[in-house]
Amino acid sequence: MTLLDATGEAFRLLFGGDPELWGIVLISIKVAVFGLLLAVLPGIALGYVLAMKRFPGRRVLVVTMQSLLAFPTVVVGLVLYMLLSRHGPAGSLALLFTQDAMILGQAILAFPILVAYTISAVQGADPRVHETAVCLGAGWLRAALTTLNETRFAVTAGVINGFGRAISEVGCALMIGGNIAGVTRNITTAIALETSKGEFAQGIALGMVLVVLALGVNIALAVMQGEGGMK
Amino acid sequence: MLRFSRLHKSYPGRALLDLGEFGVASGEACVITGDNGSGKTTLLRVLAGLEPAQIEGLCYRGIAVPANTYSTALRRDVVYVHQHPYLFSTSIAENIAYGLKARGVPRAQRDRRVHEALQWSGVALLAGVPPQKLSGGEKQRVALARAKVLQPHLFLLDEPTANLDGEARAQVIALIRQLVQENSSLLIACHDRELIELPGMRRFHLESGKLLDT
Repeated sequence: MTLLDATGEAFRLLFGGDPELWGIVLISIKVAVFGLLLAVLPGIALGYVLAMKRFPGRRVLVVTMQSLLAFPTVVVGLVLYMLLSRHGPAGSLALLFTQDAMILGQAILAFPILVAYTISAVQGADPRVHETAVCLGAGWLRAALTTLNETRFAVTAGVINGFGRAISEVGCALMIGGNIAGVTRNITTAIALETSKGEFAQGIALGMVLVVLALGVNIALAVMQGEGGMK
Repeated sequence: MLRFSRLHKSYPGRALLDLGEFGVASGEACVITGDNGSGKTTLLRVLAGLEPAQIEGLCYRGIAVPANTYSTALRRDVVYVHQHPYLFSTSIAENIAYGLKARGVPRAQRDRRVHEALQWSGVALLAGVPPQKLSGGEKQRVALARAKVLQPHLFLLDEPTANLDGEARAQVIALIRQLVQENSSLLIACHDRELIELPGMRRFHLESGKLLDT
């Protein structure tokens, strides 16, 4: 099959509603969204605390989060594999090769991105935001929510980038998901598998979906920033 | 109202404030003048609980207040307004309602008080304008309304007419004059001669870290 034939077949799979292909897309979106949801609250909360509070060990935590940004996904997958494998400390949970394990892995990958973007957003915020909230009688939670609301464009950029990392990574999903058809096979692991078999059509189709997803979230971010993020 | 027997504030290598006994009585309006960098803003920020300082003999409404719980104890009774007020990126009405919400004021009462504050400050017609698009004078009037709606025991106003001229300045001064006439307790840092010379204003001058009653 030539590359042109494969591309034609990819379009047929996409627009013909191929159930296997769209099943893979749904698994990818589901795992990335749930992974992101798992990481959003703790990630933003930790980012806010690291930006606003001074305490012993803060610097170590910030450097750790920054280092995790560049952590290879396959290493995260390896660590999780060892933890979740039958003889690992969390083996009794029987999570290995399940979507739950993939969700956990993608949450871990998105977490440092959320933390780093929130630190940057809150530290870059006008100091009068928090002071005004406090002076008007806000407690710590209301003042924090106000500050995050005033920096929502930068914080949302972190959420979108976290989603981008979760949906596009392959190493962690492959190691702890196992690439089981219909269960843990997502877009990236399917592309890797199909390409290794020399069957490009499904890989091209899934690649196009991934590109459209990535473009979609970035266009959404650009639209939001156009409305208020560039103030 | 609010009184301390000694206040000391210093930065590394520099003592900024070294004040003896000072206080603002209930219903008293005070203005503090002084050169740029003399510490006027810092004094207001310390009294608002925004900056730490060594304070002795702090007394609020006749009750001694431990200095380390200062901001917690006074936060809801003392309102500080920045020289360039920050308005949250919601509506003007929401900005004015912010402190009332923080105090858990019921919705109906909150709406009534916000409406009164909008009328008082003369910004009711601007209610639909995004706060970021207001002029400096309009922002200052919204900030004064946002403070007044809380009925604080003490207003701390930092250079409320700085960078304003013409009608905008006159409107802000008119609002402050009303606060003075209503016997609100005020402590204002400013350079504006018209504000300094408002009737009933007690005047202090801050120089070399000391407050001089003028």
